[in-house]
Amino acid sequence: MDRYLRQITLPQVGNIGQEKLLKSKVLVIGAGGLGCAVLPYLVAAGIGEIGIVDGDRIEESNLHRQVLYASDKVGNSKAKESASILLQNNPHIQIRVFEEYLTQKNAVEIISGYDLIIDATDNFFVRYTINDTCVALDKPFIYGSIYQFQGQVSVFNYKGGPTYRDIFPEKDQKVPNCEEAGVMGTTVGLIGMIQANEAIKIILEIGEVLSGKLLLYDSLRNEQQVFEFSKVEAPQKTEIEPDFEFFSAEEVPEKQMMLLDVREIGEEPEIKLDNFIQIPLSRLEKDLKKLDPKQSILVFCQSGMRARKAAKLLFEKGFQNLSLMSGGAKDLEYLQNHEEDLS
Amino acid sequence: MIQVKYFGMIAEATSKEGEEINAGEKPFSEILSEISSKYNLGDLSYQVAVNKKLVSDFSKLQLEEGDEVAFLPPFSGG
Repeated sequence: MDRYLRQITLPQVGNIGQEKLLKSKVLVIGAGGLGCAVLPYLVAAGIGEIGIVDGDRIEESNLHRQVLYASDKVGNSKAKESASILLQNNPHIQIRVFEEYLTQKNAVEIISGYDLIIDATDNFFVRYTINDTCVALDKPFIYGSIYQFQGQVSVFNYKGGPTYRDIFPEKDQKVPNCEEAGVMGTTVGLIGMIQANEAIKIILEIGEVLSGKLLLYDSLRNEQQVFEFSKVEAPQKTEIEPDFEFFSAEEVPEKQMMLLDVREIGEEPEIKLDNFIQIPLSRLEKDLKKLDPKQSILVFCQSGMRARKAAKLLFEKGFQNLSLMSGGAKDLEYLQNHEEDLS
Repeated sequence: MIQVKYFGMIAEATSKEGEEINAGEKPFSEILSEISSKYNLGDLSYQVAVNKKLVSDFSKLQLEEGDEVAFLPPFSGG
C-alpha cells in the first residue's frame, strides 16, 4: 500500500515502525480544539485503533478552532462527527466513539483499552481523573493545554516518570478555560500538533520524549522553553474527595432530581426548568435551609468547578444524594430548547 | 540582579511578561513572598522554576546573580 510510503521511507520509521503504528491503540480524550489538531494526523499516520471520548456537541463558537467540523454540523455530537470525517481520510483504521464525558466512574473502563492516552480536554477536574487513572493503570498520557497565546505540553507517567501531580499536586485552582480566557485557533492547533508528534515518537520509540519536561510555547513570540521537573518524593495525593456520580443533561428528564444551579445570578445561559433552584456558591452555606438534605440534588454550574465545590460543601453538611452534571449550563440550555423532542 | 518571567494568568496579574529584580542577599522564599504580595498572587496557583528547573524545596535555595526565575501557572484551555 502506498498510503504510508513517504513516512516508511524515513529511516527512523521503516516497515517496522509502520507496523508499530498500526498495532497501537491511542485514546484521545476531548474532540475540541486540541483534539481536532491531534486526531487527523494520528488517523492519517495509520494508528491502528483510536478512541475518541467527548460528550459535547458542536457549537458555532467552536468552529474557529475546531476545524474538523462543518457549519451545518452545529448541534451534532463531536465524537461521532469527528469519527465520520476522520474515517473518510483513512478507512483502514478502527475508530471507537465514546459519546460521553470521561468521569471518575467510566475512566478505568475506557482508558484500560488503550496503550497511550492523549489529554485534549479543557477541564481541570478531568485532567486529574486522567492522571490518577493513568497512574493506576500504568499508562503514559500526553498533556496539552492552552492559555490565550501560550500552550503547555508534557508527557506524564511515561515509563514510571513523573505525573501531573508532581507539578500541580492540588486541584483546587482557579484556572479559566477557553470560553473564559479566549483562544486563537492557530495556538491550539500548534499545541495539538506537538501532542500528536509526541504520540508518534512514543509509539515509534524515537527521539526524546517530553517526560519530566514541561514545554511552554509562546505563539506571539515564537519562543519555546522546556522546564525540567522530577518526581516529588512526598506521598502523592489522589482522589480523596467523595466520589460523586455524574449525569449528562440528556439523563436529567428521567431522574427525579432537584437541579441546583450554583452560578451567580445573571450568568448566561439562563436556565428555566422544572425542579430547579439557583443558589450561587457564594451564598450556599447561608442558604442551606432552602434545600432538603434527603432530596436527590444534581449540581451544575458553567464548567463544573463551582458545582464540585458546592457538592463537597453540601456533602460536608450531611447531604447524601448528590450528583454532578457532566456538561454544565450550556448542555441544559440545549435540553431546554429541545424539551419537546425529548418528552 | 535576577531575571523573573511570568506566564499565563500570572503575566496577566503582574501586567508584565518579566522584570529584573535586585535580590541582594535575601533568601529565595523571601523574594517569592515579596513578588506574591506585590502583585496579589495569593489566590493563584503556580509553580516556580529556577534556571529551567522546577523547585520543590525553596528552603535550601539561594539565588545567584543572573539566575532566571519563572512563574508557571497551570493552563486549562483546549
